[in-house]
Amino acid sequence: MTTKASDSTLRSERARKPIYGILYKITLAFYRVFAIVTLYAVLAGIFCYAFIMGFYALNRSWAAPIILSASDDKSLDFVQKLVLSRQSIEDLKVDVVRQQTTLDEMAKYRSSLLALDAQLQAAIVRERAHDRLTGPQLTALDEQKQADNRKTREVLAQSHQLATQIKNDLASGLIAKGDAAAQLAALNHADTDYTDSRIAGVMLSDSVLDKTTVGTKSLEVLEKQAELRSDIAQLDVTLNVAQKQLEEDNRQIDRLRSAIGIAKQSPYYLNANGSNRIYFAFVPYDNQASVTVGAPIYDCYLNMVLCRKVGSVKQVFVGEQVINHPIFKTQVRGLTIQMNLSRPESAKSQTVFLGGKPLLF
Amino acid sequence: MAPILVWLILFLCLVISIVKYLMGLLMRLAFPSAKIRKDYTWQPTVSVLLPCYNEGQTVYNSIESISRSNYPAGSFEVIAQDDCSVDDSYEWMLKAQRDFTNISIRVGRNDQNCGKARTVCNALQHSRAEIIISIDSDCIFHPDAMRELTACFAEPGIGAVGGRVGVSNPNDNILTIIQTIVYYAAFELYKIPENSTRSICCISGCLFAIRRELLLEIEPILRARHWFGIPVNQGEDRFLTHQVLMRGFGTYINNDALCWTAVPTKLSVLFNQQLRWRSSILRDLFYTLRSLPKHVFKLHPNAIYTMILTPLGAIVALLVMVTMLSSNPLAWASPLPLVAYLGLGAIFSWAIGKFSIRETIRHPLAFGAYIAWSFSSSLFITPLALCTFDSGDWGTRAKVSEEAHLDHQSK
Repeated sequence: MTTKASDSTLRSERARKPIYGILYKITLAFYRVFAIVTLYAVLAGIFCYAFIMGFYALNRSWAAPIILSASDDKSLDFVQKLVLSRQSIEDLKVDVVRQQTTLDEMAKYRSSLLALDAQLQAAIVRERAHDRLTGPQLTALDEQKQADNRKTREVLAQSHQLATQIKNDLASGLIAKGDAAAQLAALNHADTDYTDSRIAGVMLSDSVLDKTTVGTKSLEVLEKQAELRSDIAQLDVTLNVAQKQLEEDNRQIDRLRSAIGIAKQSPYYLNANGSNRIYFAFVPYDNQASVTVGAPIYDCYLNMVLCRKVGSVKQVFVGEQVINHPIFKTQVRGLTIQMNLSRPESAKSQTVFLGGKPLLF
Repeated sequence: MAPILVWLILFLCLVISIVKYLMGLLMRLAFPSAKIRKDYTWQPTVSVLLPCYNEGQTVYNSIESISRSNYPAGSFEVIAQDDCSVDDSYEWMLKAQRDFTNISIRVGRNDQNCGKARTVCNALQHSRAEIIISIDSDCIFHPDAMRELTACFAEPGIGAVGGRVGVSNPNDNILTIIQTIVYYAAFELYKIPENSTRSICCISGCLFAIRRELLLEIEPILRARHWFGIPVNQGEDRFLTHQVLMRGFGTYINNDALCWTAVPTKLSVLFNQQLRWRSSILRDLFYTLRSLPKHVFKLHPNAIYTMILTPLGAIVALLVMVTMLSSNPLAWASPLPLVAYLGLGAIFSWAIGKFSIRETIRHPLAFGAYIAWSFSSSLFITPLALCTFDSGDWGTRAKVSEEAHLDHQSK
């Protein structure tokens, strides 16, 4: 801004037009003031830029206040998800009650089927025991009956000769007609008894067969028993599945309740449901060491000097947040804290500091 | 509205720059007819003006390179004018006068230190030649340089012709590598579209040929240049070129007229040089804006765009840089510009190695550092240039002057 050079031509021009000399001096004075101010401003700007960059690169206690509103996209999304979760719990509860009722009914039915199966089994056992007892007796009786019938047949064969004798005697008039009729009737009666005895013998054979071998009736009973047991088995499977479903639904309800419990610890829940204004701040993971509940919060002028205490850390939320660095504008990961602010305007500051003043003042 | 305007100007500057480089490439490849018609048979008398200030032995080497010129010895003379150097420059000039007797060398000295522009004017007083070639005293000239320059004046309407300035120390360090690529790109591409319309906006003062009558016409204005009463001694090459164009003459750079200069190897020297150049560019912008209607009627649009958008781009780049740093402080750390610069560095290094072997670069990746230079250039040099218009020293040589002065005092 200074020159050692001079020029005679210029001097002569100035001499000719002194007014120019005055104007030039005034203009130059203004220009130099402007230039000095500008250059110092540039220097100050560069120094501030370098200092701010260095300060925020090294400082480990800054946090960025976040102002959340109920109509904020994240809050709305959060509330919507919370409502859906609660609705899911209610739906699951209805399902659980219905499933429990069905399960109870099925258990009762299974009990009745099991009782029936036991009774059937007892009846079969009883009948088999009886058959084992009466079967040999009937077999002996059947054999005896067969022998009796054979004897009767032999006697009846002789009686048929007798009937012929009676008819001859009647024809020859040896006997009266009445006597002959009575004798013939007696013979006929003996035939009828023999036939009855034979029928009884056949029926006895049938009974023996039933008692001593497995017949169709027994098979039918066994089939019924198998069907009954199959029904019980199917019911067991259904009961098992229903039980597991019920348990799963209950677990799902527990999970949803747990998730809602955690969600209630979220700043967005507090923001959406809190009646009072709540103040939050983002803390990058690099600065996590300075976050403790109750730690004082400082707000500073120019984001670093003339700091004053404006509140304390009320709560630390566990969920991860990703925001743009308030100074560097790069993405940073961290967590959210809730602040108790005695000076609400500090929530609008670009940064606040946790634990202490970032510089000495 | 204002930010949109700023972005629009920046966009326009970028587009024009890219278009100029691409057009330069296209013209080189597809339109060799855009080159000037040279006539080597026309050999006018030439005065080589050599203004000097604190150059030491370099001025001797420079005169030595001129003495080896292929131009007929009887047709040219060297007029070396010392601007009261505080070192032994004047002694070296006298020694050159004694040693190189094959050419005519006149050595003179200013009564007082008055800057390069006025030193050139003082030297001009001793010249009677048809063509004046003003050169920098730290350059080494190709034997054909003078012949190449004068041959271009055969084309009617050409008022001034410049030469191609090559870098003699391309591999000294990272700064010289960057400058080598920048010089090559500027001469071999950027200025080609301006060449095609014979409207080069700035012929380098390293090798500047002009018709004598034209320089005599411009000389009073050149001497009287001032910034609110303070003499302006910098950027005489840009000013002269501008004045030649404003008088309806054409300007041209003949890339076959070669000279070699050692570019700054120290950051402080480079910073001062760039500051001087930026200052002269911005001065030129204000002059152009002040007489814009005259420019519109007299100059080719190509020249007006270059005269306005080049300096405006520097100012807008400063605004954009400040806006960027305040809104997104780490935006400059994006890898994209670095990749782009590395790519450009690789391409230009290949081209230099193929077409300008003397300037072959050993470490082309060093051009990646240009991003840091562009950044600091936009952020520091532009505001500093805007705030130091009242400075009028020799720039890089002033320090030497002060140091030498102190040495004298201590002795």
